[in-house]
Amino acid sequence: MTAAPLPERGYGLPHDVSVDGFRVDELIHFTMAAITVIFVVVAAALIWSFVKHRRGPALYSHGTRGSIGLVVGAVALVLFGVDGNLFVHTLGDMHEYFWNFKRAEAAEGAVRIEINAHQWSWDARYPGADGRFGTPDDVITTDDIRVPVGAPVVVQLASTDVIHSMYLPNLRVKQDAVPGTITRLTFQAKVPGEYEIACAQHCGPNHYKMRAVLTVLAPDAFRNWLADAAEDARRAYDPEDKEAHWGWEWRRFEP
Amino acid sequence: MSTSAQALAEAAQPIHPPPTSFWRQYVFSIDHKMIAKQFLWAGLLFLLVGGTLAMLIRWQWAYPYRPVPVIGQLFLRENGGVIGPATYQQIFTTHGLIMIFFAVTPVLIGCFGNFLIPLMIGARDMAFPKLNMYSFWTFLLSQLLVLASFLSDLGSAGAGWTTYPPLSTNVGTPGVGQTLVVAAIFVTGVSSTMGAINYVTTVIRMRAPGMGYMRLPLTMWGLWLTAILNALFVPVLGSAALLLLLDRNFGTQFFVAGASAVRGGGDPILFQHLFWIFGHPEVYILILPAWGILGDVIPFFARKPHHWYKGTVWSMVIVTVLSAMVYGHHMFMTGMSPLLGEGFMLFTLLISAPSMVVVLNWVLTLWRGSIRFDTPMLFALATVFVFGVGGLTGLFLADISMDLYLHDTMFVVGHFHFTMAAASFIAAMTGVYFWFPKIFGRKLDERLGKAHFWFTFVGITLVFGGQLLAGYAGQQRRLFDPFQYTFIHGLRGLNRWTSFFAFALFAGQFIFVWNFFRTLFGKAVRAGENPWQVTTLEWTATGSPPPFHNFDRIPEVVRGPHEFSNPEVRRLTGRDFAGQSEVLPGSAGPALAAARG
Repeated sequence: MTAAPLPERGYGLPHDVSVDGFRVDELIHFTMAAITVIFVVVAAALIWSFVKHRRGPALYSHGTRGSIGLVVGAVALVLFGVDGNLFVHTLGDMHEYFWNFKRAEAAEGAVRIEINAHQWSWDARYPGADGRFGTPDDVITTDDIRVPVGAPVVVQLASTDVIHSMYLPNLRVKQDAVPGTITRLTFQAKVPGEYEIACAQHCGPNHYKMRAVLTVLAPDAFRNWLADAAEDARRAYDPEDKEAHWGWEWRRFEP
Repeated sequence: MSTSAQALAEAAQPIHPPPTSFWRQYVFSIDHKMIAKQFLWAGLLFLLVGGTLAMLIRWQWAYPYRPVPVIGQLFLRENGGVIGPATYQQIFTTHGLIMIFFAVTPVLIGCFGNFLIPLMIGARDMAFPKLNMYSFWTFLLSQLLVLASFLSDLGSAGAGWTTYPPLSTNVGTPGVGQTLVVAAIFVTGVSSTMGAINYVTTVIRMRAPGMGYMRLPLTMWGLWLTAILNALFVPVLGSAALLLLLDRNFGTQFFVAGASAVRGGGDPILFQHLFWIFGHPEVYILILPAWGILGDVIPFFARKPHHWYKGTVWSMVIVTVLSAMVYGHHMFMTGMSPLLGEGFMLFTLLISAPSMVVVLNWVLTLWRGSIRFDTPMLFALATVFVFGVGGLTGLFLADISMDLYLHDTMFVVGHFHFTMAAASFIAAMTGVYFWFPKIFGRKLDERLGKAHFWFTFVGITLVFGGQLLAGYAGQQRRLFDPFQYTFIHGLRGLNRWTSFFAFALFAGQFIFVWNFFRTLFGKAVRAGENPWQVTTLEWTATGSPPPFHNFDRIPEVVRGPHEFSNPEVRRLTGRDFAGQSEVLPGSAGPALAAARG
């Protein structure tokens, strides 16, 4: 087995263990650089005004063509150079990767999981050998989600009480679980280990305890665990236990 | 000498005798200046309540599970002074609600809106003085409902200030306290709507002769646009609150849905749409008056006309229009249609353009100004700084893919505290220090004011900066004990230091309390009519404090609000400013000046 979730350095982004997380990090670093430049330029102009100009007589001007042009030019520069860049990159990233469920589900070895969020745990359901949800060989876990390394994982999320939000800081993804609907989340881990799953949406007094662990296993280890667990699940299946049958037919969103 | 336009205005707004009875003068007053003071007291009192609640949150993050000194002994005795998870969720819920609806709103909009609108546009009172009085008393009722909620069986509201169902229905928060607070939101909405209708009408109908829209002080633009937003969107919040009350108390299921544990055919996301259609304009409702105040105070103390006044005005108008079209960025993670999300992202990024124009205009107003660093100016400059930080960090959150990581973390908390909490609070302080001489006829002490300034500015930057850092490292919001998570363990020191700075920030506010009461009840030093040597009507056309009827004669406005350092004015008067209705010696009088525009 691997080690329990490790503490992060403290400051800065938690270390990224996902295939696509770097896309988020790159945008964060780009934005950080851009706002630092903007901040320094504006602060320098202000400090210059405070120190250099304060004693002299004030300039009588409501703004000239040149100074208004400077404002418009600076705004246009930021709008197209920074905001525009963010917009275009994000459109691409969302369509190609973070919200591209079609591609993730079609990928070879893709793992499908149904997760039922409720006060205050995460119940996960894997289809057994039959590949279908809601059958006696479904593997059900609580606050313990296991995935193989290097394969896309597609999660369908539901909630049975209030709104929760599934948040994986080390994989840079998040998705709300909303009662009455099924939402989706996809990610792909690239480093085996144990990572934390957090609830990001206030969901009652024990919101702070709604923590689960994501275990990223080597593909073989994952396959063996799932096969064993499915066997156990089939033996433990109780048709009378309606509470345990919260699964749903895997939802097809795309035609 | 009076012009025909002035005679018309005088005929429309004759002078009424001031009330003589105590009740009519101080309690059930219809005088906008007295109502403004009532809002100021009510707001400052709740600012103290909201601030105390913030200290409890910070205590919990610095010393989880330890008894709270003093306050714990007073209010949490049955728990040994320790904050429990159920109490904690009430603390952060009511902190947010009180600060937004019952502290900053009454000071920025209730007090300054009421006090300044008639005086700055040259009117004798509001368009509907009685409606104004009802607005205050309705507001007071909503504050009492909030206080009552703390006394109820299961305590006050606990579903977060956003009050998302199903958590805010009986499913998650069955207590009477939550019902009382939702009712308080509804009632305060009624109060805001009444105030907003009054403000909008007053600015449209009662501007003094010559006070065209492009001569309005920017404070007026800010308050007027805010009033328009209030009139349009607070009723949406009211309807959401009403439907939620029906869900809570009458068994309807507008917002209740669920698979098994909770049945119901409603839609929790519907509430979020209603809430944020109001909730995002609300951010601008709080920031537009702040922008307005800065738009006047910065040129006043830089002794320079505002740079590109029309650019700032139109930017504020554009922000007002766009404000309701960006709200979806609060809901990027709800599973909304990607196309819808991308549209909201586009508008959110676009709204940064007018905001940048406003900020750059401040910078260019200061450029080559002859800056006077009095206390109001220090607070105004601090507002520029904190709003700048808040605005820039907003870039991260406008963006869907960065929100995959940052949404619902402390980064969001830091961002909105810099913008709508720090910027609107410091701008409110700018206003308090600046207009105090006009409201009370006395000037606050400058030395104490500057001490208060440094505590506030440095404190706020460190506290909300600490929140940004915690969120950047991934810490979620609203955690009773963040250190349940291993990945947050490294942030213990950061959280504790942020708390220390917060305690210092809170303590520093008592300098202001001391200054406020000392000036008000201590030895009287008259401020004089125009202690800051500025141009707008409330300073140049009436006394401090103004008489009951505001102006002995309704002024006729002849120029814009920021006429500073004009060489021609200096030649004629020897001063570096000219009042908005001032007739310069040797000029042909207001009629001709007005004709020339």
